[in-house]
Amino acid sequence: MSRVEIRVTISSDQDIVVARQKGRSLALELGFSSGDATLIATAISELARNIVSYAGSGQIALKDLQGSTRVGITVTASDTGPGIPNVSQALRDGFSTSGSLGLGLPGVRRLMDEFEIDSKPGQGTRVVVKKWRP
Amino acid sequence: MKSDTGQKKREQMEFQDEYAETLRDYAMGGGEAVLGRAYELGRRAIAEPKSLLELVSLHHKVLKELFQNSVDRGSPGQLVQISCDFLSECVSPYEMAQRGFQDAVKALRQLNETLEEEIKRIAYSVHDEAGQLLVAVHLALANLALELPPGRKEQVREIEGLLNEVEKHLRRYSHELRPTILDDLGWIPAIRFLAEGISKRANLPIHIEAKFSGRLPGTVETTLYRVVQEALTNAVKHAKAKNVWIRAWLKDRVLHCAIRDDGAGFDAQAAQAATGRKGLGLIAMRERLSAIGGTLWIESSQRSGTELSIRLPMEDDHVN
Repeated sequence: MSRVEIRVTISSDQDIVVARQKGRSLALELGFSSGDATLIATAISELARNIVSYAGSGQIALKDLQGSTRVGITVTASDTGPGIPNVSQALRDGFSTSGSLGLGLPGVRRLMDEFEIDSKPGQGTRVVVKKWRP
Repeated sequence: MKSDTGQKKREQMEFQDEYAETLRDYAMGGGEAVLGRAYELGRRAIAEPKSLLELVSLHHKVLKELFQNSVDRGSPGQLVQISCDFLSECVSPYEMAQRGFQDAVKALRQLNETLEEEIKRIAYSVHDEAGQLLVAVHLALANLALELPPGRKEQVREIEGLLNEVEKHLRRYSHELRPTILDDLGWIPAIRFLAEGISKRANLPIHIEAKFSGRLPGTVETTLYRVVQEALTNAVKHAKAKNVWIRAWLKDRVLHCAIRDDGAGFDAQAAQAATGRKGLGLIAMRERLSAIGGTLWIESSQRSGTELSIRLPMEDDHVN
């Protein structure tokens, strides 16, 4: 069960900064190293960036993750934008300009331990990523 | 060309100025908003593409200026922390990209193995399955010949002669695709066999001098064979060489193999930077060799042709 839940509405670059800041502090509070906290902020940047660029607005939710023997963080990015017509394509490197550099969604997937995406054309996109503290 | 360089210089100056300004803002207590900008700078740098070392040296240059001008704003300890946070943020896109490249390299090596398996399968079907069909055709022809008047039997013999040629070619192609000699006798005999075929077809003398007779692990032998095969293909197709020399020798536990031709050379550096068919071929050779711990050195000029030098340090379990 999670003890903390923080929601940040995303519709501008300033909001991305807020989400990054909240994500970073939560990660540090949960005992992640500052390097891992930076990578979590990076993942939040990429997810929030997608919301601003493709959906216009949406939300980033941050939660702690309490496993039986370990602790982690969950980042959920959701929007009600146009959705991704071809999810497997969007997860492939080289599909988008940022993807060809290993950034974007494929990059986020590699930074985090777990990655789930649910997208329906016309209804929006929801990406849930988790990272466990080593 | 000149304006391009000018443009690039301007962009670099702009990047450097922006980097300095952003780091200064962060040192002044800019917080997360500035770290967000640092991240975007890193993202821009990777897209440009700016090398990681270039970025780090730029960071240190800017930091040095900051140290000299603003020691009064904070203790050296604080500045070090600031520098560390900022730089981590800037290089995190590189971390993401690097993980991607690691995955890609892994996938590429896997792909090479899959391709090798696929080639084995094709070679087998060309040799064995097509061969069996040919046997069936021979039998059918023999049956047909029994029912033909003696005058037509000569024609059947002609057809049989052609079928024998077909069989010979198929066997040859199958062996070149994936020589059984490679598994049975090793890479040097396999290269001799390949060179013999190419020599005849392209009318190109290939001189082989091998002072190495030991066997190597299967993946190593396959890799060496494939690299030499690609080099020979290049010598025939692109260089239009008149002679090719292949030498292999072992010295100080390092296996050397050099493939030299006297054909039209090329700009090795440009070719490796290019993503065209030829550039990719060279990159693929290098990549295959690096997967087994080897290196490839390419020397080429318009006048003296091309020389590929393979170096492969032997591990204890290599020579047997």
